[in-house]
Amino acid sequence: MSACIWGVGSSQFGRQPELLPAELAWQAVTEALADAGVEEVDAAFVGTVFGAPGVAQRALGGLGITDVPIVTVENACASGTTAYHEGLEAIAAGRYERVLALGIETMTTLFDGPITPEPSDPEQALGLVMPALYALSATRYMDLHDADPSDLAQVAVKNSANGALNPRAQRQRGLSEEEILASRPIADPLTLFQCAGLSDAAAAVVLGPEQRGAGDIPVRASVLRSGSPWDQASEHVWGYDIIRDAAAELYEQVGIGPEDIDVLEVHDAFTIGELVTVEALGLAPEGGAVARLRAGDFAIDGDQAVNPSGGLLARGHPLGATGLAQLAEVTWQLRREAGERQVDGARTALVETMGGGASGLDGNGCVITVLGA
Amino acid sequence: MTSATKVPADPRPRIVAEGGAQLLAGGRCRRCGHALVRVFPRCPRCRGEIEPASFGPEGEIWSFTVIHIPPGPGADAPYALAYVDLDDGPRVLVRTDPEAPLQVGARARLGALSDAGDPTAEVIR
Repeated sequence: MSACIWGVGSSQFGRQPELLPAELAWQAVTEALADAGVEEVDAAFVGTVFGAPGVAQRALGGLGITDVPIVTVENACASGTTAYHEGLEAIAAGRYERVLALGIETMTTLFDGPITPEPSDPEQALGLVMPALYALSATRYMDLHDADPSDLAQVAVKNSANGALNPRAQRQRGLSEEEILASRPIADPLTLFQCAGLSDAAAAVVLGPEQRGAGDIPVRASVLRSGSPWDQASEHVWGYDIIRDAAAELYEQVGIGPEDIDVLEVHDAFTIGELVTVEALGLAPEGGAVARLRAGDFAIDGDQAVNPSGGLLARGHPLGATGLAQLAEVTWQLRREAGERQVDGARTALVETMGGGASGLDGNGCVITVLGA
Repeated sequence: MTSATKVPADPRPRIVAEGGAQLLAGGRCRRCGHALVRVFPRCPRCRGEIEPASFGPEGEIWSFTVIHIPPGPGADAPYALAYVDLDDGPRVLVRTDPEAPLQVGARARLGALSDAGDPTAEVIR
């Protein structure tokens, strides 16, 4: 794949209901276009889950991005990276040269608590809100691997410390294990500080067909999958298989293994999500993520930094914007522009986003991409 | 009635009383034998045709959680959910008593529908 990230941008992440979705998008897109050094794009792919019909055109019209094809995609929490993936595919197919991938989500005006269930789904009609889905994985994981709530909390200890170094993050304060475990119980064993916050934000990436200079970040490969059946015949907790299978396809395409990745942004919507994800990506054997986490391997100064941005736990999780914000972070990391969060010697980066909730499926969608050298 | 409010179709697993036991009215694939929580048009695993089959009442708890925040406006908390792998049957999500201790791998039995019409189960003592 010869496409590159030319530029990235994002709004602030956090509770900002006073801003319109379009206003958040203007911040992200203006920064990304300037960063890419382009004034126009040939097409835009826009990821959003709860965005109103026409949210993309409404946002881009205010920037003079009109006339060109604009396509809105929904793929649960992977909506933003799906927009990016489809942009890459369109460039590879020769349809366009400069493509804008944008994610927009305003959530704090929609929800007061957990993401409201989709009532046509049997599990969600029974009350399986997103934190409960991950809590079921956490209960199972702890039982199988002799882990305890303190192990889960360590993910939030690390990511909150990273988020304290990220001026765009929603939560910019390092949290102790005690604070995390003592925060409000949400879905046992998950407490409030083990859940990514409801957030309003937009993030954007400008993609181009070739590398013009050192600031353009080569995309090595990108894989998009939707979930297989997940039921009594599934060996793993929810979401493991889709990530493992997408990663296998990706490593095969790039010709590298998990040990070759220097820095990762992965889907830690809940603490358990990061443990399951790094195992599914092959960074640790099943049940082995806790030991590597506790050894400091996933810290900013560790062997393989995981979520140096603070991840979804600290940055916040405005669904459609999340994937593009992950891509922005690794772009800054690979350019040595990450400031206090900079991972020394970062050359190869991986971004993973997965989302779901549809009954009987191991996730609605998962995108994994490798960037850099 | 002028209200636009409509009662949506109920997607929840169907529990039927049969011979004194509560059973899940699900389906089974004619081709691969896979057990399903309902009669889908095709088997999600092999695309075979599905015939009705009932499962339970007993199974094993795959996992569980107690949720402390209401799932939506006007709903109650805390409440508990568990996935139960019914014997030779599908994995089904049920409500359980949030006060009752559960354990991964514990034996459980389907109970009568809750007042809200949700499938339930309890650990077999």
